[in-house]
Amino acid sequence: MDVETGRRAPHDAAVTFDPRLNGLTWLALKGALLSLVTFGIYRFWYVTDIRRFFWSRTAVDGSPAEYTGTGKELFLGFLVALAILVPVYLGLFALSFAAPALAPFSVVISFVTLFLLGQYAIYRGRRYRAMRTLWRGIRLGQDGSGLAYAARAGAWWLLVFLTFGVAFPFMRASLERYRINHTLVGTSRMTSTARGRSVLGPWLLFYVVALGPLIWLGLALLAAADFSLPTDLLVPRPGGKPGETILNPAYAGSNIGLIANTLLFATAVCIPAALLLIPFYRARETRAFMRAARLGGVRLASSLRARDFYWPYIVYGLSLLGIFLALGFVTGVMVFAAQNAGVSVIHWIVILAYLVGLPLFAVLYVRLVQARLWAAVATSTVVVNPEELAAVLASSRGAGSGLQEGLADALDVGGALQIGL
Amino acid sequence: MTSTIPPGADAPPVEAAGRYFNGASARPHQVCLRLDGRFRVTGPGVARDWNPLDLRAADSMPPLMRVGPAHEPERVEFSDDALAAALAARCPDLHRRDEAGGVLRLVLWSVAAGLSVLLVAILGVPHLARLLVPLVPETVEARLGATVEPQVLRLLGSPPACTEASGRAALARLVARLAAAGQADGASPSDLAVSVRRQGTANAFALPGARVILLSGLIERAKAPDEVAAVLAHELGHVSARDPTRSLIRASGTSFLLSLILGDLTGSTMIVAIGQALLSAGYSREAERAADAHAVGLMARAGGNGAALADVLERISSDDDRRGTLDLLRTHPLTAERAAAIRALAGPEAPGRQILSAEDWAALKGICGPSP
Repeated sequence: MDVETGRRAPHDAAVTFDPRLNGLTWLALKGALLSLVTFGIYRFWYVTDIRRFFWSRTAVDGSPAEYTGTGKELFLGFLVALAILVPVYLGLFALSFAAPALAPFSVVISFVTLFLLGQYAIYRGRRYRAMRTLWRGIRLGQDGSGLAYAARAGAWWLLVFLTFGVAFPFMRASLERYRINHTLVGTSRMTSTARGRSVLGPWLLFYVVALGPLIWLGLALLAAADFSLPTDLLVPRPGGKPGETILNPAYAGSNIGLIANTLLFATAVCIPAALLLIPFYRARETRAFMRAARLGGVRLASSLRARDFYWPYIVYGLSLLGIFLALGFVTGVMVFAAQNAGVSVIHWIVILAYLVGLPLFAVLYVRLVQARLWAAVATSTVVVNPEELAAVLASSRGAGSGLQEGLADALDVGGALQIGL
Repeated sequence: MTSTIPPGADAPPVEAAGRYFNGASARPHQVCLRLDGRFRVTGPGVARDWNPLDLRAADSMPPLMRVGPAHEPERVEFSDDALAAALAARCPDLHRRDEAGGVLRLVLWSVAAGLSVLLVAILGVPHLARLLVPLVPETVEARLGATVEPQVLRLLGSPPACTEASGRAALARLVARLAAAGQADGASPSDLAVSVRRQGTANAFALPGARVILLSGLIERAKAPDEVAAVLAHELGHVSARDPTRSLIRASGTSFLLSLILGDLTGSTMIVAIGQALLSAGYSREAERAADAHAVGLMARAGGNGAALADVLERISSDDDRRGTLDLLRTHPLTAERAAAIRALAGPEAPGRQILSAEDWAALKGICGPSP
């Protein structure tokens, strides 16, 4: 298989993912087209099919997982969620009229309400997925409270804002601990020792890349200006809108002008460059959190490499580029032909591009991004002390309500596939 | 005890090795599997004897196969092609899923549900809005207007207000004359607020809460004060019919309904986008006609030229139509019959009248100050 598998100790068990994705294209194609025809209602059945596909191809110690959820449960959950959400939306809408004093804050109030509701929904959705997962006939589960989780997430995000984002990895680790510590395999409780410190380095890299050159250039600018910035460095753009400014042309030749221009250029380069670090951070975080998970004496070892998280996105981006070029070419030819024939076809081109593009993108995204990310996480993971898995006993609790994931869907939080339960 | 005999019961037995899980513990048991008339699982401490008709296969990738009795947590895993083929031949329900199937029914029902929601959005919501508008108290409408006005101004590119004192006084006299004329049929709102904004587009908007915004492009292009007054009177017609509030209720109701039901990940977003664009394209033709009639009547009572409405609409339509999406004619489409109807209502002697004195008209023209 790969180098890692060859190196692991003889009594470790691999987590495997079948790399043959036979049938996935058809599944995604069918799902996208039927979702289109059914005004999106088919998406619940599509998500169910996709989950069955991924679950059944992911094996721990030779035994694949089993997904027992149904599309009908998801759909009913969505309907129930609507019954909760419609009054909430209407209430938020009415708030700005009922209390004009609150009107300036209505955006903030809506955002906070929906954010907390979203966190609650994410936790409940995870509970549904856990309770619909079987391994060797043993049901996974999740206890804990969605409200407590939402309160924690809300408090942590507040702290993240107050610390200019530095608290972010600690928030991720704390929420991961809450999730994992409330995850059960049969009667055995999982535990996590995830620490924010372990991913602080990759997180601070964002600051280094995005802010480092800016701070350095800013200091250089101050030094060049003898620590008293000229007040006329930025002047209003002649003939521009109010608030639009440009560098004062008077400084064009000087050191100050040079450094200020470099600073503006660096801002335009560094911030997007920092976005490119997201897969790197995600990979480091996934690896650290996987390594921190325990189930009794069983633990996971992960050798996930950051490049495994980059490749899917690179391949996906290149295919999108290719498709857009092809579409642009076809459009150009058709417009040219239509101009010669004297008919307007632009509406038809848009509709055609949509009908061809939508299923194509759905298939490419599932195959190139979701499947590869999933495979990267699964195949880089090894179960240490798998013999202790034999001690896991089934629980007598039921499969739980089937309505729990609806809110997450209605609020559009939590995707169809959550890598790492 | 003789139940149905499974197909292929007389075929030669097939044997393979596998792992048995009892559903209570994750401990694997090495077992020997044998399929004859029954499916037998035997090993140290394990002896199971299942009817092949009860067996269901869980999803798995070949060559691995995973079977167990329906609705039971017990599982057997094996990787043997011959046994898998024999099971497939002898267990007709092996791949039956309780919830599978019915995709066609699902598609038909959801198409029906989607069409029903669309019909409600297209037909039901406007009707509902018409019923609801009289129930909205004036104070609520005023608040609605206060909420909506900044958003509309932002859409227009935040044009500055025109506050030249003499121009404002002339505008106030014009509004007062129109309001006094409106008082005659008792349909004039109490707190009318007309403002002029510096914007090159020739248009005017009526908002909830009796707010009217005139864009300076309209005043620039008008050749007579009656043309501005007639457009203003037309917007006042919308105000007194409470069209802006109705249209707001209708637009928010429709978009709320569509976006909530269709949700995300649908791929139907384009249908929503098209629908919303169609639904929010101005007022209905009847509302426009009623506002025209209101404008002509108002102008006649105020001593102005009602036919000027047709003049200014025609002038703008004959000008270049590269003016962009906010042009008056995008929201107030002009047809030959509409212009003819306006002129017929105004009567033949209307073009002789003028609503403002020459000084007031000059002051109104300069309401935005010298052009930048």
